[in-house]
Amino acid sequence: MRRELVVLAAVVALAGCAAQQKTAPGAQTPGVTDTTVKVGGVLTKTSASGYSTKDAELGARARFERANAAGGVHGRKIEFVGAEDDTQDAAKGDAAAKKLVQKDKVFALVPVHAPNFGGAVFLEQQGVPWFGWATGPQWCGTRTGFGYNGCLAPKPGAGSQTWWGNQMADLLGGASGKTVYVQTSDSSGSKYGGKTISQSFQAAGFTLVGLNSALPGAAPPADWLPYVNKIMTSDGGAPPDIVVSIIAGTKFNVGLYSALKKAGYKGVLSDATSYDAAILKDPATAMALEGVVAAPMFEPFESSAPEIAQLRQDVEKVSPGATLTQHLAIGYWSADIFLKMLEQTGRDLTREKFLATGNGSFLYENAGFGKIQYPKDHAEPNGCGALVKLEGGAYRVAKSMKCFDNVPLK
Amino acid sequence: MLAYILSGLVTGAVFAVMASGLTLSYAATGVFNFAHGAVGFLTALVFFELNVGLGWPGWAAGLLAVLGFAPLLGYGLHRAMFRGLAHAGETAQIVATIGLTIALPALGLLIADLVEEPFGLPPADATALPHGVGPYPAVEVAFGFDSDQVITFCVAILVAAGLWLFMRHTPYGLRMRASVDRRRLATLRGIDADASSALAWTLSSALAGLAGVLAVPVVGLDSGAFTVLLFASATASVFGRLRSIPWTFAAGLGLGVVQNLVAGYADFAAEITGLRTAVPVLLLFAGLVLLNRSRERVAGSAAEDAPPPDYLADLPVWRRRLPWLVSLAALLVWTFTRPADDFYVGVVAQGLVLALIFCSFVVVTGIGGMVNLAQAAFAAMAALTCGWAFASGWPLPVAILVGVLAAAAVGVLVAMPALRLGGRILTLATLALALLADQVLFQVDAFSNGTIGWPLPAISFRVADTTDPRVRVVLLLVLIGLVGLLVRNLERSVSGRAILAVRSAPAAAATVGVSGPRTKIMLFALASAIAGLGGVLYATSKGSITATDLPAFAGFVWLAVVVLQGVRRIGGAVLGGLIAAVFPELLAGWGVSAHVGAILFGTGGMILAKHPDGVLAQLAEARHRRRARRQATASSSPAPSPAPSAAPATDALSPRGRAALGAVPENLAEPGRAEPVLRLEGVVAGYGDVTVLRGVDLAIHPGEVVALLGANGAGKSTTCAVAAGDLPVTAGAILLDGDDVTGRPAHRRARAGVLLAPEGRGVFPGLTVEENLRTWLESPDPVYERLPQLAARRTVLAGALSGGEQQLLTLAPALVRPPRVLIADEPSLGLAPLVVEQIFALFAELRQRGVALLLVEEKATEALAVADRVAFMRLGRITWTGPRSEVDADRLTAAYLGVSS
Repeated sequence: MRRELVVLAAVVALAGCAAQQKTAPGAQTPGVTDTTVKVGGVLTKTSASGYSTKDAELGARARFERANAAGGVHGRKIEFVGAEDDTQDAAKGDAAAKKLVQKDKVFALVPVHAPNFGGAVFLEQQGVPWFGWATGPQWCGTRTGFGYNGCLAPKPGAGSQTWWGNQMADLLGGASGKTVYVQTSDSSGSKYGGKTISQSFQAAGFTLVGLNSALPGAAPPADWLPYVNKIMTSDGGAPPDIVVSIIAGTKFNVGLYSALKKAGYKGVLSDATSYDAAILKDPATAMALEGVVAAPMFEPFESSAPEIAQLRQDVEKVSPGATLTQHLAIGYWSADIFLKMLEQTGRDLTREKFLATGNGSFLYENAGFGKIQYPKDHAEPNGCGALVKLEGGAYRVAKSMKCFDNVPLK
Repeated sequence: MLAYILSGLVTGAVFAVMASGLTLSYAATGVFNFAHGAVGFLTALVFFELNVGLGWPGWAAGLLAVLGFAPLLGYGLHRAMFRGLAHAGETAQIVATIGLTIALPALGLLIADLVEEPFGLPPADATALPHGVGPYPAVEVAFGFDSDQVITFCVAILVAAGLWLFMRHTPYGLRMRASVDRRRLATLRGIDADASSALAWTLSSALAGLAGVLAVPVVGLDSGAFTVLLFASATASVFGRLRSIPWTFAAGLGLGVVQNLVAGYADFAAEITGLRTAVPVLLLFAGLVLLNRSRERVAGSAAEDAPPPDYLADLPVWRRRLPWLVSLAALLVWTFTRPADDFYVGVVAQGLVLALIFCSFVVVTGIGGMVNLAQAAFAAMAALTCGWAFASGWPLPVAILVGVLAAAAVGVLVAMPALRLGGRILTLATLALALLADQVLFQVDAFSNGTIGWPLPAISFRVADTTDPRVRVVLLLVLIGLVGLLVRNLERSVSGRAILAVRSAPAAAATVGVSGPRTKIMLFALASAIAGLGGVLYATSKGSITATDLPAFAGFVWLAVVVLQGVRRIGGAVLGGLIAAVFPELLAGWGVSAHVGAILFGTGGMILAKHPDGVLAQLAEARHRRRARRQATASSSPAPSPAPSAAPATDALSPRGRAALGAVPENLAEPGRAEPVLRLEGVVAGYGDVTVLRGVDLAIHPGEVVALLGANGAGKSTTCAVAAGDLPVTAGAILLDGDDVTGRPAHRRARAGVLLAPEGRGVFPGLTVEENLRTWLESPDPVYERLPQLAARRTVLAGALSGGEQQLLTLAPALVRPPRVLIADEPSLGLAPLVVEQIFALFAELRQRGVALLLVEEKATEALAVADRVAFMRLGRITWTGPRSEVDADRLTAAYLGVSS
């Protein structure tokens, strides 16, 4: 017993020494040389559920390649080291962020696109900028986390989007007298989504006749009957005009929509995830989703905007024949905003200067994602979105990217 | 309402098919297969690649996947793993199958990744859209059911009927059920229990595969969803008491209906997030507590988990600790030569956080012998409570204390109902609680602060704070050191000895006044507190804690990592933590797919099947062997004795041993008689380190009754077991008709005609009278003609018969199909005199038909009445053999009292 205590005492004494040798503040900004800026990303490339955002790496690479082909930013080329895989595990995401910053010595993390990203606190504490899709609350209220379309998980009282409801009202020729039913699954994340989206439709003038969170979150139910029965009688015994599904995963939506159609539902179906070219490859899935109005948060690939033509061209150069996906767009636009901020910061580059630029009334408008304003969008979404309709087995732009004013989240 | 029930039955059909497989394999082999869902996933993956990838029609792909791939996988797993696991402890069994749960899907996805490009197959991820076995897209058949649903339901009904027919009306089913009922007795009846297990795994795997193929068009290629499916099936299995396939099937169907009704009507549950998702889990817990109270074990102990020998016991203390002290010093020196923002120091610090959490497994599993799958929930509980307390304005040290106490309190709460359960049931209960915490408790926004979670600051010690990973390393080493001291004192203290007593002999401990439940609850609370402390440190080093940071499944993986290193010592926990943190980084650094890490980890299960005590114990054993060998070569002794049991063998062969046996061989070889049918020559045998038989020579001729008499403990029953092949011998030989059968297992000896009616009753209590007879006979009719009292009760479970009827049932088959040798161990024990008469008449008849009988009795009178020859046994040796006529009162007294005549 005494011997062990001696060892412990020795260890504690050593800890004191550790405190003495704090490293001197870095003389040079990590990841920045005269000719290069090093960046890398964290994605959920593999996961138990099969969810994967790996296409974001290709999107970011395509955008960086164009910047490099044009001579880089202020004479510095982007050295993109690729993206780590967090396997949708918060601890792995934290480790990946630490590896990129401490071992690979990157300047910033681009793109970060992982729903359960765990490195936020570390990056904020180290003052390392990170760019990506801010679907989780860990992004919001930071000074280093830049969502390409703002913070999508605002706190109560902060601004919440109204574009989905407003775009839908425009598409349907007005919202008055029309009813909407929102279906989410049984988890706090999904319920939160249900709240913001119900509010979006209500702000646009729709009447909310149901917000249901009964779906089990882990796996799609084998039997949709109980859920469909509720929907089909929600509007005073009749079906609603619009059903919005806030459940991730094509399997969920295919199941819900097929069951609704089987039950004779003729109204509008809308969700955030059905804009996915992979769906078209499978005729039966395409049939189940026929008529669905998907709500991407970037300008659809079918758009005639020059920015989109440029995106297609950039991707084609890096990976000929690649399928354009939502995750690819997110990686691309995250990289685009990072480059813009890098350009505005100027030749003299440190993380502090970069963050000062980003957080000092930064405003950037682009048809690809609408507009982004920092520091405002650290706390709320940019309020922009588009609608795409699946018709005759092909996507068609129903509403191009447009921005609407946010309303405070209840 | 009716529609909900009907469509619920379709969902339930998938649960039912999967759960039947789970029950089948558990009942037949005693291994609860957590990887059952993973087998379903893998089969579904094969089906998807054949069907969607290669364009096979659904039915063909389904047939090949379910009847070709899945059974082969099951058989392969049996050969590689489950066979070895049947004899390993419970912890190793659970952990090995958890390893498979991770490795199998990873292996499948890795292969799918590799063949995707060259073969032009579709990717097997969330974008994959698997079809059903029926027409695609599914067509509507009737009443709103589509073709896939109808196929699912019909196939399930067919499978249920087929399974019932197979189990009830085929010899294979009978053998499997007999092996389940009394494995040892089954082998004595000539049933190859190992072959039955192989069949059970093959069949169970096919069922999992079928459920997977039926479910995949609905749930998608998502291995997580298949794990959820497994938990639902486990609920159905529990309601079938893990034994009855029909009940399991019915429970599966019922579960589908209940889920539908809850989704349709239980709107009141909407307020509590996750409650409706958790319905199967709630039912699982209720089922465990209500239906499955352990009959065999007390207070959650797994008594068969005997600790490995301490191989390093002969080393001095400093020598045993040296490797650890050197490693510690090296780690500290390395740490302090690195900069404050060094990545690898951070990784090591993270590994030590895990190591601290893993220490809790040493307490609850290593010392307490309880397998707890809820450890991640305890860590999350503490961290979230600490975060909540800190956010409420309490100072950090107080908040940490509150968090740790909360974890300990929850530990006690969990322990209370769980401790009434034993073994695997306890494990399943902790699993249910872990899932419940994940799905319901941590979804409460006020507690977990929604998806945002709670921020936590670094812990500051004036000169330094824990943002510096080097400070974390030191802090954690100190804490782990303290836990190590605590564990050691616990093991040496009165309460520690009490715990070990409860673990190895619960009944004995209870009689001497050691309170099982109280010590168990203390252990649970302590382990939860340690896990909680680890959880808090995890949160402070990450800077925040959310409800999803420490998911329940992480707890399963942790347990596997620790057990793989060795769960009985702190060293195993530390090594496990470091490996868990460093290994993935190394793999990622080498650019290896994350799947490979998962596969390597899963193969750890196969190691466990061979070395259930983990890597550390294995290393110690290897070193022990090396040292023993070195000593052996160094000393001039010609016969090093690695095991003490070998010593009596030499003794038996020594001149003195021979002399003690005296003229026995001559006595046996009576001139003019046929060759003995069964012969034991110098047999030495025992249990573990205890030698019971010290050189037994015995011969039995056809048509002869040999009575083996002797006092309690003389070795009579052991002689019977050795003769029947139930117990291996360490020296000597057993000859049947002159052939050496020493190496043949019991079931092959039984087939060759050696039938042992073991002490107690040789019946399968869970099988009917008729089925009992069929284990030895083609048709039971002749028995009914001879013994009408059995005919009247042919459909009654043998367990419900009277003792006399059971003994008749044990011996009756021998009348119809006489064995070469019948060994009856205490056949008259506890029977009424009238029945005893009947039994001995039966022996006389068998003798007339030329059967060689070895009759073991403690009470000599009845045995002597039928015996031709008599052998007296004392202290593991035959002391006298001779004809019945030469036995008189003096000899009897001498034999029983040990007085030389």
